[in-house]
Order: sequence, then structure tokens, then C-alpha cells
Amino acid sequence: MLGPTATPEAIASLRTNLGLDHSLPVQFWIYLRNLAHGDLGTSWQTTRPVLEDLIQRFPATLELVTLGLLVAVLIGVPLGLASAFKEKGIVARIANFYGLGAGALPDFWLALVLIFVFYTLLQWAPAPLGRIDLAVIPPPPVTGVLTIDTLLAGDWNAFRSAVAHLVLPVFTLGLVNAGAILKMTQSTMEKMLQSEFSRYEVLCGMPHNLVVRHALRNALPPIVTIISVLYGFLIGGAVLVEMVFSWGGAGQYAVQGVLNSDFYPVLGFVLFSAIFSLFVYLAVDLIYFAIDPRISH
Amino acid sequence: MLAFTRTIEAERQSPATTALAIEGLRVEFPTVAGEPKVAIRDLDLAIRPGEILGLVGESGAGKTTLARSILNLPPSPGRISAGTVRFGGVDLLRLSERELQRRRGRDISMVVPNPRGELNPLLTVGEQIANIARVHLGKDRKAARAMALDMLRAVQISDPERRMNAYPHELSGGMAQRVVIAIALVCSPRFIISDDATSGLDVTVQAQILDLLRHLAQERDSAMLFITRDVGIAAHFCDRVAVIYGGEIMEIAPREGFFLAPRHPYTVMLLAAFSHNPRLRRAWTLPDARAGAVDPAVGCAYADRCPRAEAICRRVKPPLGELAAGHFARCHFPVERP
Repeated sequence: MLGPTATPEAIASLRTNLGLDHSLPVQFWIYLRNLAHGDLGTSWQTTRPVLEDLIQRFPATLELVTLGLLVAVLIGVPLGLASAFKEKGIVARIANFYGLGAGALPDFWLALVLIFVFYTLLQWAPAPLGRIDLAVIPPPPVTGVLTIDTLLAGDWNAFRSAVAHLVLPVFTLGLVNAGAILKMTQSTMEKMLQSEFSRYEVLCGMPHNLVVRHALRNALPPIVTIISVLYGFLIGGAVLVEMVFSWGGAGQYAVQGVLNSDFYPVLGFVLFSAIFSLFVYLAVDLIYFAIDPRISH
Repeated sequence: MLAFTRTIEAERQSPATTALAIEGLRVEFPTVAGEPKVAIRDLDLAIRPGEILGLVGESGAGKTTLARSILNLPPSPGRISAGTVRFGGVDLLRLSERELQRRRGRDISMVVPNPRGELNPLLTVGEQIANIARVHLGKDRKAARAMALDMLRAVQISDPERRMNAYPHELSGGMAQRVVIAIALVCSPRFIISDDATSGLDVTVQAQILDLLRHLAQERDSAMLFITRDVGIAAHFCDRVAVIYGGEIMEIAPREGFFLAPRHPYTVMLLAAFSHNPRLRRAWTLPDARAGAVDPAVGCAYADRCPRAEAICRRVKPPLGELAAGHFARCHFPVERP
């Protein structure tokens, strides 16, 4: 921070300013005390409070991850269901192949391929440089989620640009993470369709679509679980995709912090992710509660 | 020999007097070796309207396979390779899946064992009974619910209004069994298959459930195939009793004849096993049975275990011959009448 020509006095004074002359437990205690007042420390890279940095960047990651997961669900669940119905059908074969492939593909590689095809070759997608065109003036931040903010501002041009920038990273995340959801949907659905109660419903002459609907309801808890686990994981796990698309989200911020020994952003990010995960799991518990009467007793 | 059996059955039981007739039914399970294992071997069985026919046999004799094959749903990976199941003028095994679906649960219904595992854990008892009424009888939601409530009353569940909204995990085994009976009977089926329905219950509850089942079946004039491992239950419950062994009917007779004058050695062994007479039991049980020495396609399936078996038993399959009025046994050397 001070450069190679720093004087010993300057180093000593910076050490005191940063609180590095205290022992580690004391430093941690000071961090906790500041945390209680909503102070997450200051990043020396951006020279801004970490809280402000994160509040600015977290919505970007959240928007990306949420939409990516939505795409993953929209691909994974229907494919999983279709392959569970006809175990040897053509859809099941495609789904199996895809499930394997999606598990083996690194997301950053897929991101690069998508960029190469849709930006370099076809020029359908905008350049992978951030969340909105450099020429477009971003709307005043309200939620931090660009698609919402542009709509709130009524700026169609900016909205279109934001959506266009979202397409490739969202599909990267969606395509890669649909694999796990697909596999889970397929295996639970198969299990449920072969379970005693499904067999009994067939014995009772229930129509096929009703049997399937009841089986799906029973298969939901594991599917919801895998989605929620992915959601919590992707907040940090999407960082490579963020890097490739220069997304400027929270994950990228934290990784830069790690690379530059800038600890407060890292701590702040961990805290944010933990709180976010807690909320996701709370929501999942509430969903379980609504699905399964056995839990509410 | 099978033709012989079938003629007798056909003469004695014209279509007008049978609720359901199984003829030449064969169910096979594929094996790794290639040669399929025959679970039901060319089986003939006719059940008269309003009658309760008991089917007794050990585990693995083919009872459940038979029960499910009647509905054309043999346990996986079993396959029905021959035979007919005539019911209401049609062969159930030739019907389309859609036609079958309409009949299952409405005209032929099944009472299953282990009902708590068979009920859908996420639906209330009332919904599950009402669903059957809606699907099969085309009732609207309200009428179906009313029918479900009536059925819960009919199966004598205490506090039926409250139980309508109970989930399967909140029920005792006996209550769950009553619910399954309610589901089976809500459409007043002409034919009921009860597959070992009371096996998991306390003896006192068992008696109540059986009385209830018989009462409700009689009320609706439904015929019943009552499958059990318990000879004692069959003795109390059934009009006629059949014994199945290795996928074949070994003996079939009216209740009195069956219990007072059993003719097949296997039947005698089964009754002895249930009696508390150790001398009788020893006399009719072969300790060193070598299963598999006889090819059941050629000889008598029971020959390996039979104390009366002679050389002919291993060479020639005995026919199901009529030994007294309505009393059939598949044996070369039937036990003499006492």
C-alpha cells in the first residue's frame, strides 16, 4: 500500500491505523464490535466501506444466479419428468446424455464457447463486458437489479441492453446446473412411480395423469432441496462465470479480495453468503411445511 | 389333462353362474439363465357370484402374483404369457389399458396388506376415498366427499368427520386397513380381491376387520377372492377354499369338505402345521425335502416334499380330479376319506 520506498515510520503508522499491532484475538474482537455497528471494515483496494461495495455488487450476482437457476429448473425438471415416464424413450436417452455432459462441463469453458459462438461468430450477443452497454447510461440504482431498475426508470433502451447482457451468462449457469436438477428429478420420480402408493393407485384404476401428479408431489422435497443447495452454492460458485463476463458481482469482488490479501471484502462476502443461505433454507423449510403434512405434526 | 379340468369346470359353471373365471393362466418371470420361471402354471379357477373363495398357500406359492394378474398388473418383471380372465363377458387380459383402468377399483377392487405404506402419504384419507368416487363414478367434489364420509362410517371408523382430514401416518394399522377397505368398496365392486389383508394386524383387530369385510361384501353382493396364509382364517371366513402350491391349484373344495376331509397330502400337511398336534405334523412333513428334483412342468410340483410320492408322481402330472361333489384334488394318491 505504501510502495517499495516506504519509510519505517510510515509502515509503523499504517500498522497502527489498520490495527495490526494488536494480537489476532483482539483484532477479531474489534472486527466483531464494528460488525455489531454495521461496519464491515474498509477495502483498501476500493478504499470504500465493504458494506457499500457489497450492497452495490450483491444484487448483480443475485440477479445472475437467480435467473440462471430459473433456467436450470426450467430445463432440468421437465426433462427429468419426461425421462422418468419412459425410461427407455428417446427423451430419457437425451436426458441421460445431457445429465452426464452437464456434470462434466466446467462453466467457464461453456461460457467461453457461448461467447465464441454467439458473440464472435454470430454477433447475436453483446460483448461480454459487464452488465450493460458502455454507451448506455445505467438507471439510478433502486434495487441494484438492473432489469428491475431499468423498468422502474422506464428506460426501455437500457432494459433491452441489460437483458441482452444477461442472456449468455444466465444460460451458461442454467445449462451447467440443470444437470443436477435433472438427475434428481429423474431418480426421485422413478422411485415415486415405483413406490407402493403409486402402484396402489394404479391398482385402484386411477388415470395415469393423476398417478403422475401425486407422485410428483411426493417427489418435490428432494427436488426443492437440490435447488436450494444450488442457490446457496452459486452465490460464490458463479464467480468464474462472473469473471468471464466481467460481471462485477460480489463473487468477483471477493476473489479479487483473496488475490490481493484484502481481507475485509472476503469476510463481508462470507457473511453475506451465509445470511443469504440461511434465508434460502428458511424458505425451503417453509415449502416443506406446505408440501408435507408429516412435518407439521 | 388341463383340457379335462376345464371341461368339468365349464360344465359345472356356466358363464351365468361365475363372477370371474380364470382359465389356463400362466405367468412367467424372466431369469438370468434364460429359461423363465413359471410363477402361475396353467391355472383354472372360477368364482361364483356372491361367493367368498379362500386361497391358501405358503409365501412364494403365487398368491399375490395371481391376485395382481387378475387385474392384468403382474408384479414386475412378471409377464402373463397365456390364459384368459373372463369377467362380465370380457377377457380382462385382452382389454386396452384404458378399458382396464375403468374396471380396476370400480368393478374389481383390491384390499392390500400393509395399507399404511400403500396410501399416499400427502393426501388425507377423505381425499383418497373421494378421488376413487370422482374418477370411477364421475361424482363432483362435494358428492364424492359425502360418499367418502359414508364409507368411513360403513367401515366403522370412530369419529369419521375428523378422520376425513387425517393423513395416513396419523392412523393405526387397523384404521388404515379400514380405510383401504373403504377405498375398495366405495364403488360397490362386483368382485373383491383381498390379498393377505389382515396379516399385519392384532388378532382381535383381525377378527373385527374380517367380519366387517364379509358384511360389506355380502351387503353389496360382491364375490371375493380371499387370499391368506392363515388356514384358520380361511376356515372361518370362506365358502370354498383352494390351496395353491408352486403356482398350481392343488385342491379346491367347499369349506366343510376341505377341513373335515382334505384329500391332497399338501392340504393335510398345511392343516397339520396349523394344528397343535405334533404327531400329526410329523407324520405329514418330510424333513429332508429336496426341492427342485422334480420338473413341475412334467410331474407333480409337490412330489419332492410329499410323503406319499411314488415314481409316477415324478413322471406324470396328476389332473385336478373331482373326488366328491365339488371337491377337486390334484393327486395320484389322494388321502382316503376318514
